[in-house]
Amino acid sequence: MAGSAEATAATSSRRTLARGPGRGLLAFLGRREVLPTALIAPVLIFFIIWNTIPTLWLLGLSFYRFSLTSGRPPIYSGFYNYTSILNDTSTWFDLSRTFIFVVLAVGIETVAGFFLGLLFWGSNRLPGRRVALTLLFAPMVVTPVAAGTFWRLIYDPTFGVLNWFIRSLGLPAVRFLSDASVAFGAVLAVDVWMWTPFMVLMTLAALASVPKAELEAAEIDRLTWFQRFRLVILYHGKFILMLGILLRTIDAFKTMDLIFDMTFGGPGTATQLIAISLFRSAFESFNMGSSSALAVVLLLISIAFTATFLYVLYLRERRTSDA
Amino acid sequence: MADVRVEGLRRQFGSLVAVKDISFVFPQEAVTCLLGPSGCGKTTLLRMVAGLERPTAGTIRFGDRDVTALAARRRDVAMVFQYPVMYRTLSVIENIELPLANDRTLSPAERRRRVDEVIEILQLGDARRLHIDRLDLGSRQKVAVGRAIARRATVTLFDEPTTNVDVHAKLALIRAFKELRRHVRQTIVYVTHDQTEAMTLADQIALMHEGEITQCAPPRELYDAPNSEFGGWFLGNPGMNFLSARAAQGGGFVVDGVPFPLVAPAAGLDDIRLGIRPEYVRIATAPLPEGVPARVQRRAVAIGGQHLVTLAVGGSRIKAKIAPVVGPSRGVPEIGADVFVVCPIEHAMLFHRGERLAEPPRRLASSPGAAG
Repeated sequence: MAGSAEATAATSSRRTLARGPGRGLLAFLGRREVLPTALIAPVLIFFIIWNTIPTLWLLGLSFYRFSLTSGRPPIYSGFYNYTSILNDTSTWFDLSRTFIFVVLAVGIETVAGFFLGLLFWGSNRLPGRRVALTLLFAPMVVTPVAAGTFWRLIYDPTFGVLNWFIRSLGLPAVRFLSDASVAFGAVLAVDVWMWTPFMVLMTLAALASVPKAELEAAEIDRLTWFQRFRLVILYHGKFILMLGILLRTIDAFKTMDLIFDMTFGGPGTATQLIAISLFRSAFESFNMGSSSALAVVLLLISIAFTATFLYVLYLRERRTSDA
Repeated sequence: MADVRVEGLRRQFGSLVAVKDISFVFPQEAVTCLLGPSGCGKTTLLRMVAGLERPTAGTIRFGDRDVTALAARRRDVAMVFQYPVMYRTLSVIENIELPLANDRTLSPAERRRRVDEVIEILQLGDARRLHIDRLDLGSRQKVAVGRAIARRATVTLFDEPTTNVDVHAKLALIRAFKELRRHVRQTIVYVTHDQTEAMTLADQIALMHEGEITQCAPPRELYDAPNSEFGGWFLGNPGMNFLSARAAQGGGFVVDGVPFPLVAPAAGLDDIRLGIRPEYVRIATAPLPEGVPARVQRRAVAIGGQHLVTLAVGGSRIKAKIAPVVGPSRGVPEIGADVFVVCPIEHAMLFHRGERLAEPPRRLASSPGAAG
């Protein structure tokens, strides 16, 4: 019904257009498939120029041996770049460090964000709620480079404010960013500080999607806290929560700027995440071929995350439509 | 099981007083319907009894137990909401069992017995293992009713449970509710704005208007003897006729210049309103001693073949609901016809300033209708 109505509308508008001046162009634009295409074209062109072509270029380059320092043209080398990356133990170390970082960061952010979200959810009538929320979200809007810079200052062993507190307790100063045993935790803490608000936001959105009557029914039916969480809150909020976790996972996987500014992967390789080593290989060693290959691998991992999420989503949808 | 006593119960939202100092007793093991138009405060009252809304003032007692300060989960109430509330990841039987499962005092055997009983009465046997998402809205609400009834809570509350389901499901729900009532005696408070539903289900109806309970009586009594103009107008379809009358010389009544053969008990009262339900109004084509001349203005066929006739008595309107004698419209006067209206004295009542006068009208000794 709707389709035919649309078609009728399109036909009549075509007729109207055809009668006016410059009818050739208008008639052309009036055709059903032309105008929508014309409207999305700018975005499409932008996307192709800045996204698709570079990605394809990257893909192509990953099969060549090409270093900017050698001055020689690229030489086709098949899967050589891939095999050498995968045979390099340092890649695997960086990757596993990155996975640990992602799991810890996203895990802590999710749990902390969820509980903070619950806290704010229950404080609807508390004065100062808006101010507290604004303050809480402040870290999220700071540029990571700026955050990295001022956390480096906070962490500084000689004049950092954190060490001032530690020393005033009579304890020895901690070299947060240059002690290999602490640096990873210090960097992780900054990421958590920065992105927990995002999970608070997602939690609040998830909680807002829970119908009030269901929570009241849970209260009347004397459900335990855990039952309430599992049967009511999670049922309605899980999609939004999962979306938050996915976004954070992909983002944490790419963490670069924060570490770039604080430790640049050091001390040693203590905080060298895969994105940092990619940066180093591309813009310090200028090894374009192998860094392209590494970038492709990272892209594939990111796609795998997304695909897993979409698969879970699809399962959920299929179950609902079965009903 | 206990009765529910509210005293001086008040709820204010800013300057709006939703519930105005209500003192009332919901009797034990009876169904009390809170009936009233939208926004009369009935749902607010129910939610205060449930513990979902905090009263501004007043107390709520279940029997001897003061529950005013208790949270909903500590009150031992069960409730059915307007929209069927389900635990969506569970099956039908799990949904009904869930509130019972948290009751440590209940043995598993007793729990199963109660669940089975409810499932049988509600005829949900075929669906018991089904996932709740597979049921339509009506069946879901049935499950919600079952979940509330199986609890055997001190008080069971219904908040317009049939509003969001279709007509057939609504009838099925009402049937199920009546069937449940035959098996399980519970203290039930049932909020509705649907008079038919209230008339069908209630042991007694508490009529609410602008935050107050104006009258509480068994359905038939509430219908036949409303204590206010509001009660007469709100119940019935259409509601009661009201005619503004003045006392005439010689003790009679005058409605818009037309003398009525009735006497007010307290003569001298001005602005008396005569109330009569449309189904009691009689129409005669020949002059009768009690008849008042009138003209037919409109007629319409109502559900069930009854005719709704609007008559003009002087400048006032009066509606009559009459059944045709034989055939589709036999005995129903044509539009524009001059007829005589009879308001049988035993069904007429008098109102003054919205309140019903205790004494009924009396018949005038010498009828002016006959004289004219």
